[in-house]
Amino acid sequence: VSLTLTYFPVRGRAEVIRVMLKDQGAEFDEKVITMEMWKESTLKASCVSNPLFGQLPIFEDGDLTLYQTNAIRRHLARKLGLYGKDQREAALIDMMDEAIQDLLNKYIKLMFEKDDSGKEGYLKALPTDLKPFEKTLSGDKGSFLVGDKISLADYALVILLIHHQVLSPPCLHAFPSLQSYLKRLCARPNLHAYFHSDDFKNRPIIPGKRT
Amino acid sequence: MGPYTITYFGVRGRCGAMRIMMADQGQEWKEIVVDFADWMKGDLKATCVFGQLPKLEDGGFALYQSNAILRHLGRNHDAYGKDGKEAALIDMMCDGVEDLRLKYVKMIYQEYDTGKDVYIKDLPNHLDKFEAVMAKNKTGFLVGDKPSFADYSLFEVLLNHLVLCSSCLDTFPSLKSFVEKMSARPKIKTFLDSEAYKKLPINGNGKQ
Repeated sequence: VSLTLTYFPVRGRAEVIRVMLKDQGAEFDEKVITMEMWKESTLKASCVSNPLFGQLPIFEDGDLTLYQTNAIRRHLARKLGLYGKDQREAALIDMMDEAIQDLLNKYIKLMFEKDDSGKEGYLKALPTDLKPFEKTLSGDKGSFLVGDKISLADYALVILLIHHQVLSPPCLHAFPSLQSYLKRLCARPNLHAYFHSDDFKNRPIIPGKRT
Repeated sequence: MGPYTITYFGVRGRCGAMRIMMADQGQEWKEIVVDFADWMKGDLKATCVFGQLPKLEDGGFALYQSNAILRHLGRNHDAYGKDGKEAALIDMMCDGVEDLRLKYVKMIYQEYDTGKDVYIKDLPNHLDKFEAVMAKNKTGFLVGDKPSFADYSLFEVLLNHLVLCSSCLDTFPSLKSFVEKMSARPKIKTFLDSEAYKKLPINGNGKQ
């Protein structure tokens, strides 16, 4: 059964899907849509009329076509066993993931601002957002956000932390558990290979030069 | 599962959908109402994983984040589709509802006086997607043939939009019918007619 991701040639909201599939060694095709193609084509219109939402990414798993990044991620997590060992872990993974999405949305808002004026305030507030994850990962609890296996939420957090270090290299200085978590996850063989690949490195975080 | 306890402020807010869901599923729950001034003192806030409410307790298990709570209830009460495909479509719908909810909340709290008219004017561009799905599915629900947590979330957000603009579903017959049918489900009707529901404002700033 073939997996296909359709997205712009950026990391953006789809990168977390790529990271999950790469780490799990799941093969997938990519259809790249440039902004010009998106504006001119009927693809956007068809996204609106047939499901919906007029947005990318689109993900195809055989005859199932999905929109909404987080719905795609959850589908893959269920398929690949990345959603905890039971219902309770699944709920905690959802909880962690929702909080990560809150921070991601703030980050995206900052990235698309016209100038740097919001950056200082953002970085000042960042430790408050990172603290709950630091707390979760500290102590002898284990190597992942929930349970003893990598999950949906871990992939979202790892790429978010990587991008925050691009935004502000010292942002994890006060968070030793997050630092060691990031180091540990990035040392996973498939992720190590992917993060060092030209494929990853040459893909901008968002359209344009802002990082 | 259960007993359930919700800890939240004295509003419908982000607990609206989960309360309707639990009511429809025949579940009883306890409400711990938090006074906002007390909240600002910080003691309870410090115990919350992300410093936020709502909190759901399911027996001894504490959960935060309203959409995580909806999904947990979905798993508990067989309201997450009959298979992986339906689950994925339900997730997609719920995320679409969340996008609309975020826009609504932004308008209510940040731009009500200046932005309300523009918001109402733009609303059909967001509702048309749900209308299309509802019309295509033909069962009276977004996905499959029984209510999922996405249906409860959509229903609740539409109820709030009808308060904002009572004619907003006039050009969306499937959504209008959906709201009517959901409202008529016996346990939902009882809940919506109750003091517990009616006494709570939708939003924390009194705007609606």
